[in-house]
Amino acid sequence: MATGNYGTIRPADVSVEDIEMFYSYTPNRESLIDVELFPLNPAEVLVPANNPNNVTEIFGGLYTLKLPTATFGTKGFYNIIIRPKQIRTKIQDCSVLVDNQDVKGIVFDLNQIPSDLQNRFENGNLVGYRVEYLKEQAGTGQDKIQNLFRIITSNNRALPITQNQGNSNASVSYTFNDNSTSIFCTVSPSSAPSIKPNATPFIGNPQQDVIITNTFFDPVMLEIEMVEFDDETLAYALFSNQTKSLEDGIYTIYNFGNQIYRQYNLYEVKDQFTGKPLFEVREQKFTIDPTKDFDEITDF
Amino acid sequence: MKYIRKKRNLENYIVRNIPKSILIKDSEGKTVIDVDNPKYYYGTIPEFKIDKEGNFLLNTFGQKIKNTIDINLYLTQKVDDMGIFTDKPYIPKDTLLTDKPQNFNSFSYGRLAGAPVEFYYTPPNSVSGYTDDSLLKQVKSYRKDVNGQDVYVPNLNTSSNPSELYNGVISEDTEKTVYKINANVNNINNTGIKYTTYKNKFTTKKDDFGLNQTHKTTTFSVNNSGWNQYNTSLSATTKKEEYLGIVFKPEIDSAVFINRGIADIFERHALLSEIKTTNDIDTNRGGFIRI
Repeated sequence: MATGNYGTIRPADVSVEDIEMFYSYTPNRESLIDVELFPLNPAEVLVPANNPNNVTEIFGGLYTLKLPTATFGTKGFYNIIIRPKQIRTKIQDCSVLVDNQDVKGIVFDLNQIPSDLQNRFENGNLVGYRVEYLKEQAGTGQDKIQNLFRIITSNNRALPITQNQGNSNASVSYTFNDNSTSIFCTVSPSSAPSIKPNATPFIGNPQQDVIITNTFFDPVMLEIEMVEFDDETLAYALFSNQTKSLEDGIYTIYNFGNQIYRQYNLYEVKDQFTGKPLFEVREQKFTIDPTKDFDEITDF
Repeated sequence: MKYIRKKRNLENYIVRNIPKSILIKDSEGKTVIDVDNPKYYYGTIPEFKIDKEGNFLLNTFGQKIKNTIDINLYLTQKVDDMGIFTDKPYIPKDTLLTDKPQNFNSFSYGRLAGAPVEFYYTPPNSVSGYTDDSLLKQVKSYRKDVNGQDVYVPNLNTSSNPSELYNGVISEDTEKTVYKINANVNNINNTGIKYTTYKNKFTTKKDDFGLNQTHKTTTFSVNNSGWNQYNTSLSATTKKEEYLGIVFKPEIDSAVFINRGIADIFERHALLSEIKTTNDIDTNRGGFIRI
C-alpha cells in the first residue's frame, strides 16, 4: 500500500492556447436583460509573466489581462470568464483492450480533432482531462447531460482488432499501436464498486458528442467595474489647480498634471425687467476653451 | 471557480492633453480646437496608444500598439489528494536485466522494465550528530564508586529485554563513555545507536523558556541499513476508484453508554481504573466510553 499525491494548490503555468475566455457587459447592476457572452481571444488579451531570472521561463501563476479599450472603455460592469479550453468531438467507439478485456475505454478519432489541437491527443497528453457528455437526442431541451463527467486516466493510439465471438458474432477491441489515428482513453470512474459489482459506471456511447476540457487551472470569473470617478478624480475638485476667467466667466478645473479636466460657464440669471439677480449658475461646458491652459495663464 | 472583483477608473485612460497643432483660429479670431483634426482625442479613450502630440506609438514592427486596460491576476491549479494505492500482483518481465544502467538512481529513475529488485538496493549509510546526555543514565550500573559517582561497566546490558536488545557501555576511559542503545544482542557492533558522552566537555543551549541548559557534550551515530532485501519489494500499485481521495483507513467512532449499575459501590473506582492517560479523562466523560 502506498499513499498517492497529497493535495496542494500550485501556481498555474498553463499556456494561453489552453485557455478560453468570454465576457459580458451590463451598464448597471439593475439591468434586466439576459446575459450575453462574447468570446475573447486569450492570445490577444492574456499575457503570462516571465521569470525575471530566466526570461524564457514562465513565472507561474501571474498573468496580465490586457483589455482593449475599444471594447472595455465604457462605464459599467464587465464580467470576464477565464476557463480551460474545451475540445468538442464525437466518441468513435466504446470498447476494451484486446489483452485486458476488463479495461474499458472510449475511443476518439484523431481526424475529427481540429489540427491545432491534435497534439493534445498524443499518448499520455490527455491524462487529467475532463469528459462531459451531450445528449444523444438533440432538441430535448438542455443539450448537455448535467452533473456528469469523467476524468481521462490514460490515452494511447490504438488499433481496432476484430475478434470472433462465435455464433457469427464479432466484437471490436483495441490494441496499442502508435501508427493508428484512433485514441483509446481510459476514464475514471469506469469500474464497478466492490459492493455492487454489476453497477458499471456510464462512460459514453459510440457517436455521442462530448466536450473534453483540460484541468490545468481553476476557472476564474472577474467582475470589472469601469467607473468615471474615484478618490483621485474627486481630489481634483478639492486640491488641484483651478482658474476662473473674469472676462468670460469660464471656470476651469485641472488635473494634477495641469491638464484641463472640466470647464464650466459661470453666469447670473437676472430678472429681465428689473435686472434683479435671481440665480448664480455653474454649467458644465462641453466645448473646451483651449486658451485656459494653466501653464500659459501662469507663465508671466 | 474563483470570483474576483476589480474596479478601474476610465479617467486614467482618457486623453486630457490638447496638442498645439490642433488649435486653429475661428472666424472671430478666437483660438479654438479643430475637432475634425485626426489628432483630436480630448475626452476620449483612443483605440491605439498615442503620444502627447496625438501621434500613434509604434512597436518595433512599425505597428500601432493597442490601448489596453491592464489587470494582473493569479491563476492556480488545485490538486486533490489521490488517496491510498493498493498493491497489485503482477507478472514480471521474463528476461531480467543483469547490468544496472550507469548512474542508475532508483528515486529519479523510477520503474525500469526488467530490473530486478536488487537494482533498487542502496548501500548502508551513517547518520551522526550532537545530542544531550539524557540517555547516559540508562546504561549506568546500580553500583556507585567510593566518591558516590555513577559507575559505567562495559558489556553490562541494562535493557529491559536483554535477550533481544542491548543497552549498555561499549568502552569507558577518563575522557569519554561510549555506549549503545537498542542494539541487537547478536550484532551489537553493527546495530543500535552509538552514543559518546565526553566527561569534561559541556554544551549549553537555551530551552523553550530561554533558560540556559548545560549538559555533557554527546555525539551519536547510527548505521542505516539502506534499502535491502528486508525492506524492499517490487510490486505494481493500482488505484481502486472507490478509494479515490481516501487518504486514511476508515476509523469508526461511536459512543456507547455502559451502565454497570449504580448499586455497585465499586463503580466509580472501576471507571477510574480505566483512565490511564489524560485523553481517557475526555473519553470516559460522564459514564460514556468512546470506542
